[in-house]
Amino acid sequence: MEAVKKPVTYAQLLETNNLMQINSDESYWLCVTRTTQESKLFPVSPYMMLSYANAFYRWPSLLRKIESRMSMEECGDRARNMGTKTDTLTMGWTLPCFYLLGREWLINMGMLRPEDAVEDVIYVMDCWKRMQLSYHRNDGHITNSQYGHRSQLMPERQLQVFEADLHDMTPGDALHVASSKFMATVSQYQFLSHCECRIGICNQGPYSFGEGRELIVRDFMDLGVGDYPWLDGVADKFPFHNLTVPMVVKDTHFELMDDWGSFESKPEFRAENIVRIGLYTSDLLSDSYVPVAMESPQALAAKFTELTRLISDANQVLWKKIAGWSRAEMLEAGALVYYNILKDVAHIAGVYEQSDWMEIDERAQRLVPLLNDEYGRDVLTELVGLLTLPSQVCNDYTMAMHKNTNHRMYSPIPYTILNTGDYTATSGPLGKGSSLFKKTTGWRTTRGVLDQESYNKAVREFTPTACTPEARFIDDSWVKYHHKDANVEALYRHTQTRSPRLANKGASLKREDITKLRNG
Amino acid sequence: MKRFQWDQNKFGLEESTPTSRAFHHSIRALVRERFEASGLEWKDFVLAGSNCGLSESDFRSVEAKLLASGYRFDVSATISAKEEPEKYKAMKGQHERTVNAEIKDGRMEVGVGDNVVTYPASVKGSALYVHTTDEVMAMVMEGVPPGSIAIIDDSGGTLTAPILEHFAGVICMGGSVRSHLGILCREYGIPCFMNAKIGGINNGDRLEINCAAPARSAVDCQKGIERTAEIWKLV
Repeated sequence: MEAVKKPVTYAQLLETNNLMQINSDESYWLCVTRTTQESKLFPVSPYMMLSYANAFYRWPSLLRKIESRMSMEECGDRARNMGTKTDTLTMGWTLPCFYLLGREWLINMGMLRPEDAVEDVIYVMDCWKRMQLSYHRNDGHITNSQYGHRSQLMPERQLQVFEADLHDMTPGDALHVASSKFMATVSQYQFLSHCECRIGICNQGPYSFGEGRELIVRDFMDLGVGDYPWLDGVADKFPFHNLTVPMVVKDTHFELMDDWGSFESKPEFRAENIVRIGLYTSDLLSDSYVPVAMESPQALAAKFTELTRLISDANQVLWKKIAGWSRAEMLEAGALVYYNILKDVAHIAGVYEQSDWMEIDERAQRLVPLLNDEYGRDVLTELVGLLTLPSQVCNDYTMAMHKNTNHRMYSPIPYTILNTGDYTATSGPLGKGSSLFKKTTGWRTTRGVLDQESYNKAVREFTPTACTPEARFIDDSWVKYHHKDANVEALYRHTQTRSPRLANKGASLKREDITKLRNG
Repeated sequence: MKRFQWDQNKFGLEESTPTSRAFHHSIRALVRERFEASGLEWKDFVLAGSNCGLSESDFRSVEAKLLASGYRFDVSATISAKEEPEKYKAMKGQHERTVNAEIKDGRMEVGVGDNVVTYPASVKGSALYVHTTDEVMAMVMEGVPPGSIAIIDDSGGTLTAPILEHFAGVICMGGSVRSHLGILCREYGIPCFMNAKIGGINNGDRLEINCAAPARSAVDCQKGIERTAEIWKLV
């Protein structure tokens, strides 16, 4: 029997429009503090526009596919316990905004009304809300901006491991030199492998580490062979897919950690102020963070140096490969990197298919002839910076947040549809997709390189310890009063399993205990 | 639906950039034409099945119409002009500015830029313009001349990816301190000026960039506070 279709409600529209406006306000601030990112190598603005259209047409179907197996809240729980591309930037900003930017572009071309695809819009914003509330469970906010541009995602049990095990370093010592070089080299590689896009890097924090020190946690994702076909034959030797670098910084206050995972500090961040550092890897199968060469500062320095060499070599090979691409290949690769930014959620749910996430839908593909460099630049600038597209102009009395002019980025859904019923529900199922790129190898995981089917199967059969029924809802406020409960103790001991200093120490430790362990 | 919403936009219809205005006007005209010819209700026309009845060739015609008027596009990526030079204006040269010709202490101010990070002292080196992938490839093969201060009109982090770490300094004629090139220079510890305005600099000129000056912060950018540092030519 066919399910009875529920009508759109006033409450749904009120909430959806609110969520859209939150993103409208914050997106303007994020975009206006940067100029449009142009590149001599990649047609960046054109590929961004293509990705937005692809997201508009495809994401609602793909989110429904993900949720047919795992809810967004549960995906958020899993994301919170690892450093994958389900982070502040990807889930926090791009999930709502890429979709809404595609919608707004189509509205301005006359190919959509604000009252079209209404059920999709409601659903996408609801997915975002549930994912974000779950991902941000520990800090109790929906976005970094709601927290005054801060993200404190990690629970005490993980932060204690970092506090116990990160290695001290001072400017000029081997670890400082090696880690600084690694950070620069891997950042460069991430910009290149992501076609000039910053989504391969994300930061979270700050977390108080006492004595004027703050911890930020930096994630570098999709380093090895995986979803991007252009890394086949380039990154095969790279032994990790994701790396996480927690670092403690002295005399520096991170006053801003925005929803793009970028930070600002006072005074400006300098490598010489990093006083402790570590290196971890994680993925969907790793059961939280796995230390990488953390047994001694010497071993860690050597590992940083080894990884820097591997990345530097890959960087050279990849640059030469990309420099030989046609414009169509550059346009598509960039668009796919942007569009597939949610793909790790599909991986988490074990429903990832390359054709879902690495193809351009025919409905978006038809727009490619528009996307010369100037139109791409100008329509993007109007869409996210100037807010001057016809749909973005409001009445004369409006004073937008951060701008004080009568503009907003995203068109709300008109409430009158509740009376008229004149709206469309959805952009429909996936259209026919195509790609200029063919994947030839598997996916790098902590269980080796797996093919697509094996990877999905392994993920479906695995539940991380922190997400098991007995552990999933243990949060820091429960721990505060129940740190001696067996389930809490077990969860802490699990998190401490790979820690040289905290193994089996349990849930009752406080900072002073960890300081003693470090000093002892 | 008897009239299109864009016909009734109370607060204006015009995009602020010429290409967006021209393209969107043409596309809306096509949507109107196809909708009226379709005999469909909007709900059956806009998305499911019909998708406004527009195909790739329709969008190709939108661009062709503007090109036929003699309009040529600004270029951003080198590959765009290389593959379709007939569509684009000639690539822009240097961002020239008037040079303060006064020579003081053996140096002449030839530009200013937004300092990314404050360093203890200024940096000296030789000017080296980097515009194209061919130039980068040559340096990949032959090496970057030691002590080069790269002058780049691309604020991205990919054009110079294989050679960036070898520069003594970077002057970028675009972007902001939060652009990718600025971020990477900060990571590498390379003095870098973004959003630079320069004039009268030739390849090989000896330069000094005042990276000891205060950095331009994100707050400065947001509030529109100008905070520039000097670029000198040593004479």
